[in-house]
Formats: sequence, structure tokens, C-alpha cells
Amino acid sequence: MSTLVFIECNKSVISESSFQAATIANEFKNEVYGITTCDDESYISSLGSKGFDKIFIIDDFGDFYAIKEIIKNNNIKTIFSPSSNTFKEISSKISVKFNYPIISNVLKIEKNGTISSSIFTGKAESHIINNNDSCIYLLNKNIIESRDFDKKVDIIKVDSKTSEKISFEILEQKFIEEDISLNDADIVISAGRGLKGPENWKMIEDLAKKLNAATACSKPVSDAGWRPHHEHVGQTGLKISPKIYFAIGISGAIQHLAGVNSSKTIIVINNDPDAPFFKAADYGIVGDAFEVVPKILSSLD
Amino acid sequence: MKILVCISCVPDTTSKVSFTDDNKFNKENIQFIIGPYEDYALARAVELKEKNSEIDISILNVGLSENDPLLRKGLAIGADRAYRINSEPNNSNFVAHNIASFIKKNNFDLVLMGKESIDYNSGLVHYLSGALLDIQTFNPVTYLEIDNNNVIIKRETESGIEKIKASLPLILGCQEPIAEWKIPNMRGIMNARTKELSVIEPISVQSSLKHKKYSLPPEKEEIKYVDKDNLEVLINELKLKNL
Repeated sequence: MSTLVFIECNKSVISESSFQAATIANEFKNEVYGITTCDDESYISSLGSKGFDKIFIIDDFGDFYAIKEIIKNNNIKTIFSPSSNTFKEISSKISVKFNYPIISNVLKIEKNGTISSSIFTGKAESHIINNNDSCIYLLNKNIIESRDFDKKVDIIKVDSKTSEKISFEILEQKFIEEDISLNDADIVISAGRGLKGPENWKMIEDLAKKLNAATACSKPVSDAGWRPHHEHVGQTGLKISPKIYFAIGISGAIQHLAGVNSSKTIIVINNDPDAPFFKAADYGIVGDAFEVVPKILSSLD
Repeated sequence: MKILVCISCVPDTTSKVSFTDDNKFNKENIQFIIGPYEDYALARAVELKEKNSEIDISILNVGLSENDPLLRKGLAIGADRAYRINSEPNNSNFVAHNIASFIKKNNFDLVLMGKESIDYNSGLVHYLSGALLDIQTFNPVTYLEIDNNNVIIKRETESGIEKIKASLPLILGCQEPIAEWKIPNMRGIMNARTKELSVIEPISVQSSLKHKKYSLPPEKEEIKYVDKDNLEVLINELKLKNL
């Protein structure tokens, strides 16, 4: 029996989350199939090294008919997927169509069958038993390091046969200008009210550029209009789990911590030694952001 | 035009999470609120009603009678009637089946939910409800205007923001800045007392997922302080970790 991985592809680059999903799929001693919209065949043919045995290339993840046929024809009962909204939507349709259980925010799948997932925005974990031979796992990012494999991948191009009725029209598309999206970034540089005003974000952007990082902010900052809403991380904003999270001039309210507490390494820079964020940090620097950030920048040169 | 806003009743965002000895969520000293994302959704529905009095707003919660004060609050903010499906919201699949069965019986043009509930965070109830009813679902939606039988929305995607024109019926998962939160005024609170709050018994839903236990995440290691005049220490540590 084979398992299936949804492969996320943005601007012809496949996300690390997709490779992490393939690594997890390989722990179950089955053939690992993938579905992607990336049509760069020479790139796809190299993905045996990421643990895939077979990859289906489809035109669009909106083509549910194609996805449904792949699942049916290959008797797929287990799906591992990054937690993007596109995949949540497809997974929900599969769950309803095939009556497969579905679990979000998966942190761990143990050999004894226990599945752990993150709840209360990372403030707690839930442990679940699944009494079914099928399951759709929506995986949190960075719960595992992706591994390399020695496999050869078969590529199957799937022609779109039906155009499912589309009841909407896209009037306008604005693409994220940043090179690195907040969700995909390994490093995130985040700043708060301690920066005093939007005009002071230049050093944050400089540091982000130097570290190949994405920028983020706290809720008061996006509420004040200093930064766009899509940069807001926290309980009511984006939940992220990068490898390194820099919190600069953010006091660390419980709502903010909830959105970032699954980051691998948290570095806090704050001039208030009593800022609650220090309790959740791996590294702390007590000092003025306007002094510390330029110093970090120059020591990276 | 009939709008349904589905609301979750969840612990306040500042809550400290703990569990009782018999492994249930410890509700003691916890303040419950309407989920922040559903609060945005409801506020937007009320704004739309302010512009078009023909809009009728129902709110729906899957939960126990302890949630009734929050449903009254929703009525005070401006919903016309409230429904509660009388069960603990066991899991996304259970909630979605119950919501879908309610929508099927009551025919709504537009269903608004939050992008996710902030307690169990699955972010699936809108998509599952949409799949069960075969209704187009968009999430997360940050802008909503109604134009006759069409709606104009903006939704965030992995690659950016799309402005979309779609026809009803629709299910939308809402997120800021779709509206500003509304605080009920005195008149709203008085009116809410006489509005209808109906209790419906749940439908049963089979699930192969059995909850075993809850736990708190592993404790963080002690923080390492780095002197601001000796930042090389930090840079070197990060390099050592291959970051």
C-alpha cells in the first residue's frame, strides 16, 4: 500500500515542509507517492533523493477530480501534507468523499499509533488514537528534519479531464513581494512597539536581508498600521515555527507567545530585563534595540 | 438575505491552559469569549445589515448551556436570532456535520465562520462543512462586500492576496481586517433579552479518532543571556548549531 504526500510548490520551488512530509511518510515502510503542480520535470526527477517513489504532476490543485482518481486508483489510505490552506481544503474534500479521518497540527506520529497534535495555539498537546486504517495528517512545520534517500522517482503527467464547475472569478491577484514568505522562512525577524515607529524598521529589514529571513511584527504594531496585517504573528495572527525567531522590542504577551512558541530557537532583545518574553527565550540580550541590532548587523559582516 | 455566523466559545486569549486530574480542560477561573475570528465575522455581518436592513443574521454555536451568555452577547451585538446545538464540540468532523445538517435544513445565502477556533485550532470546520454541502468555501477572507447576488472578497493565499467575485451560496472563514470588533451598546443588550435562542439536539457522527489524553508542551531549557557588548558569543553559537 502506498502513501501520498502533497507537494507544495511556489515559484517553481518546492517547500521544505513538503520534504519533511516525505521523510515522515518514509517511516511507514510503504512506497511514497507525491502530487505536485511543479512541471519542471528535470527537477521533479531528482526528488527520489527526497524519498519519493512516484510523483504525479497535475495542472492545478483545484482539479479535485484528478486528485480523487489518483487516490482511488492507487488505493491510497494515508496522506501526509503540509498545513497550507490549499491542502486543508483538498484534505477536507478527501475526508468527506472517502470518509478518512483528518487531523490538523500534527506534531508526532508514534509507532504505537498515538498521534500528537498541537492545540490551544501551542499551549498544549492532544494525544489521539485512530481506529481506522486510513488517515490524513496535516503536519506542522519543522517537526522533523528532512532526510536524503537513495530512490528513483517515476513521473506521471496527469491530463486534466474535467473542469469542475468554477463558480467564482479572480478579479485581481497581488503577489507577496518579499522573496521569503513568513510561513516558509527558516529565520524570522520580528519587532514590536519597542521600535517606537514605522520609520525605524529599516534596520529590521536590513537584518532580515542579511540573514535571508522574513520580517514579522506584534499585534499592536499591525493594529497601529506601522506594518501590514499579514506580518502579524500571534494567537490571532499567523502561527509560525521557524528555526530561529528574533523578537526585538516585543514584551512577550501570552497571545504573542502562543503564535511563536514552537520556534526552534528564540532570541529576545529587549531593554526591559523583566519583559515576560525572556521566560520563553533560548537566548536573551538585555539592551536597547537601536544599539544591539546595528551591532549584530556589523558583526555579521 | 440570510446570513449565518457560526461562533465558537473559547478561553480568553490570555488564559493559562491546564488540565484536571481526569484529563479534561480545566475551566476553573477561565473567562470564555466568542472566538476572536468569529467576532470579526459577526461584526462584518452586522455592518452589512446596517447598510441593508433586509439582511437577517442568525448565529450558531455547538456547545453546552454555559455558552448561552455569549450567544446573548452576539444578539446584543446585532444578530437577530441564536441557535445552539446542545453538545460539547467534540472534534472538527462532528462540528462540521452538525453545522452542515443545520444549514441544509435552514437554507442560508452566506455562512461566515472564523478562520479557525483558537482552542483546538484545526482550521477545518469551514472546509469540511463546504465539502459536506458542496458549497464553495474561501479562507482566510479579509474583505467582504455584497453586490446583489454576488460577493466581492479578498482572500489570502500562500502566494499573496486574491480579489474574487463569487456567487452565493458561500462559506467564508474570516480574519482581520474584515471588520473592527463591536462592543454591544445598552440598547442592544436590552433588545437581546427578548430575541429568540433555540436549542437543537445534535446529530450523532461516527469517528474513528479517540482522544487519549492532553499534556502540556515540554518545558523550555534555561535561557542563556548574552552580553550586548559581546554579541560574537551568540553569532558563534548560532553558527555551531548550523543555523
